[in-house]
Amino acid sequence: MCGIAGIYAYHYAANAVDRGELRRIRDHMAARGPDGLGEWYSQDERVGFGHRRLTIIDLSERGAQPMMSGDGKLVVTFNGEIYNYRQLRASLEAKGRQFRTQTDTEVLLHLYAEKGEAMVHDLRGMFAFGLWDAEKNALLLARDPYGIKPLYYADDGWTVRFASQVKALLAGGKVSRDPEPAGWVGFCLFGSVPEPFTTYQEIRALPAGSTLWVDRVGAHQTKQYFSIADIYCQAEAASSPANEQEQQLNAREALLDSVRHHLVADVPVGAFLSSGIDSGALVGLMRDAGQREIQTVTVAFEEFRGRMEDEAPIAAEIASRYGTRHATRVVTEQEFHNDLPRILEAMDQPTIDGLNTWFVSKAAREFGLKVAISGLGGDELFGGYPSFRDVPRWVRTLAIPGNLPVLGDLTRWLFTTAFPRSLNPKAAGLLKYGGSYAGAYFLRRGLFMPWELQALIGADTARLGLRRLKPIQHIAAVLKPKPRTSFGRIATLESSMYMRNQLLRDTDWASMAHSLEVRVPLVDNTLLNQFASIAAKNGSQSKRLLASSPRVPLPPKVIERPKTGFTTPIQSWLQRDNRIQEWRRVPSLTADKCAWARRWAFQVSAAAAAA
Amino acid sequence: MARSEVRVLALVTEAFGGRGGIAQYNRDFLSALAQCERVGEVIVLPRFSSGSVDSMPAGVQQLRPVENRHSYSLAAVWTAITHRPIDFVFCGHLRMAPLAAVISRVLNAPLWLQIHGVDVWHDLSALQHRSVESATMVTSVSRHTKRRLLRWVGIDPARVKVLPNTVESQYQPGPKPGHLVERHAVGGKNVLMTVSRLSRLERYKGHDLVIRTLPRVLKQRPDTVYLIVGDGDDRPRLESLAAECGVAKNVQFTGSVPTEELPDYFRLADVFVMPSVAEGFGIVFLEAMASGVRVIGGNQDGSRDALCDGALGTLVDPGNGDELASAILAALDNPTRTEDRTTRFKPNLFREHLTALYRFFSIQTGGPLWAGPSLRREEMAMAIPNTFRRVNDQQCR
Repeated sequence: MCGIAGIYAYHYAANAVDRGELRRIRDHMAARGPDGLGEWYSQDERVGFGHRRLTIIDLSERGAQPMMSGDGKLVVTFNGEIYNYRQLRASLEAKGRQFRTQTDTEVLLHLYAEKGEAMVHDLRGMFAFGLWDAEKNALLLARDPYGIKPLYYADDGWTVRFASQVKALLAGGKVSRDPEPAGWVGFCLFGSVPEPFTTYQEIRALPAGSTLWVDRVGAHQTKQYFSIADIYCQAEAASSPANEQEQQLNAREALLDSVRHHLVADVPVGAFLSSGIDSGALVGLMRDAGQREIQTVTVAFEEFRGRMEDEAPIAAEIASRYGTRHATRVVTEQEFHNDLPRILEAMDQPTIDGLNTWFVSKAAREFGLKVAISGLGGDELFGGYPSFRDVPRWVRTLAIPGNLPVLGDLTRWLFTTAFPRSLNPKAAGLLKYGGSYAGAYFLRRGLFMPWELQALIGADTARLGLRRLKPIQHIAAVLKPKPRTSFGRIATLESSMYMRNQLLRDTDWASMAHSLEVRVPLVDNTLLNQFASIAAKNGSQSKRLLASSPRVPLPPKVIERPKTGFTTPIQSWLQRDNRIQEWRRVPSLTADKCAWARRWAFQVSAAAAAA
Repeated sequence: MARSEVRVLALVTEAFGGRGGIAQYNRDFLSALAQCERVGEVIVLPRFSSGSVDSMPAGVQQLRPVENRHSYSLAAVWTAITHRPIDFVFCGHLRMAPLAAVISRVLNAPLWLQIHGVDVWHDLSALQHRSVESATMVTSVSRHTKRRLLRWVGIDPARVKVLPNTVESQYQPGPKPGHLVERHAVGGKNVLMTVSRLSRLERYKGHDLVIRTLPRVLKQRPDTVYLIVGDGDDRPRLESLAAECGVAKNVQFTGSVPTEELPDYFRLADVFVMPSVAEGFGIVFLEAMASGVRVIGGNQDGSRDALCDGALGTLVDPGNGDELASAILAALDNPTRTEDRTTRFKPNLFREHLTALYRFFSIQTGGPLWAGPSLRREEMAMAIPNTFRRVNDQQCR
């Protein structure tokens, strides 16, 4: 886990690495790695790496980073976990490679020495790393297939800087704060900043499943080595067992294998537990994988006690079924108000979510956990979202009218002019966007519509940002190649947009702020490879395969419970918070029917812009 | 099968026989480009060329300048057609980018675009946008200019590289030349100096601020003279400003100075000061520093690059007269000449980097310009966007 940082003064005119700057970047991420810190500089002072460590595997000092290869030619600074590092290590040792530590970090060094950049294909896990190759005089940056771990870089034309957090790069003091209109537009449209953009022009996210070389001419283009769409395409082409029993067996094996891999650690691994199938089934599978002691944590709210929304009783039932040490942590309105400034501070990039993860991570840390398993990714993998139903339906209905030129713009214009306040802005866009998967998905997930942006972020930013982001093309780009089934398409869209830019980012900042590592066994490239064909065949029915995977079945009421979505009283708390009133300045946000997320988004952006 | 020699068409405002920073940059650039491995010929079509051109560097051929804008476009197209095959097009100014982009498209030859500064301070026209986005690579004189371009244009930042100005060897430290001390009667005086055109269109250089700051400097160092080197239509305004501030006696205008005399002029200065707000790079800073003169520049534009973020000179907020006055006084308190501080901007480094950029450019184009054996396989693998995407761009069945 941890926070990584680096500076490479690649240009001949650039000043050597400023150690003070590197330390400021690194130490801004102290919460990501409270257990240790390290730095390394090349002899000519043109390259420097920094590292903050959260010890999870090989707790000894030998595991400290940045780590150098035995021959001194390679140096790595790494954030994440390589879950198959033992297998990789065994095969590297078989080739005669000598190891000095028990870490997954060292495996990266040897694997790179063996395979070069192609090493990324062998890695199972979540990772972001910077690797200095002294012979090549070049820096390699890489990020895991799904983008679980973040990695940002800034190339000003002389010097490249990278770090796990945007705010850390800024803390160094030498990266431009010029705003990136596409990042702001993306945030307003989607509720999270879509990679590769950030809200700063100079800072970019290395896209999920990509690598990047930096050499004497600077950062090259990023190269994508993994595509979710591609896996669904292959899965649709492949045959999967027709027999239901066999499917169940395969699903269980794949899921158990993923959970087993995600338990690799030299410290206890706990779990977040809600009342839903995903987290419950994972706890059951942790049991099946042989874990005896499991600490589980549920967040509850006083307001919900005794009501349908209260997850605590069912979560407790699941916990007792699997014999975990269970804790229910009650969050009060007062605590929320106290934490709010710290939440906004820890929020690395503007986002409308992450508050729940903040509290459950805080609770997990209070109960002594350093690592927790989360059910994140289940709705993407098993088709749990309403979008799996709605988007294909809209596209079917609107494909023909939506493709008529000008009609979409015309109706949009008519509606927004005729009913500027009273009509749901998305309804006005139905004809304009509903006819394609990317467009309909945007309607389903969108927060604001493009024509609303001007009032929020100003005409210039909106115009420049829309021109650069091209939101619909941006979404459509993840559907290359295009899966044949609607399930494959929506699963790809949800995993490559919402999960990547929103859920995973929020989980990262909100958990790392509490020095907690969150592991997500349902977000795993190997599991996807094994499961995609079954999922493509079963569509949204595939969740029952997860539900019936644990040897000890989940309580029936968990499986039968209608999906409510995760609700919290946080909305009403926010509404009552008198520090959060900025949105009243924007007329379109004062309408009674205005969704709270829209007001909150404006508040977050105002806070971020002021910071 | 690629030919063994690469031929380049360079469209520039001015290069050989031209004056000023951009012409100098183009000369350095094109001479170095002609030296790159496999480059056989660089055909330069300038719009202006004031002076006579005695000798051209090897491999560079400069055609007659064509001043009229429309005639220039026709001449460029004509040159492109008559000099085929052209392997790539170099465009030395953003204003010419649309023309260069059309030619590059017609010839199916990649485009290398150079930007300097003032051309990207404001949003570009739609045509310029598309031209920039069609460029395979853009080189910028400074980080600042790069940043400004990226503010407007949605080009992949990885395709925008920085290649700073370089400085020629005639600028070297030395004693104050006696004839100039005499000519300007500055014997025993502290000389502040700015070198630039004095154009009404370029009022960003900061002369105003220096003049307004002068009374504060004179209070402590009455024996100070501000020498404004260069000429232009803004001079009368600056003269009356000096009078208005009561420092007319301490401000001298040299008028236009021939290029050959410039090295001597720089050596006449104690402090070179130019608190500009819109410098693309500011080659004059390099010339002053190479001459061993202390420099003061603005902290908000390309001057940051010339002064290497303050490592080579003092950066001040160009809106802050107090800051400028203290910087000038501090520099005057330390009258010893420095060594030549521009070693990191020397032509050999410029040439080496240009060669590296040329390689990068060639690889971006898919490699037809660079099929040479010296490109190692792994370099190729490093730079070519992997085939993964290309293979998968088709819809799967």
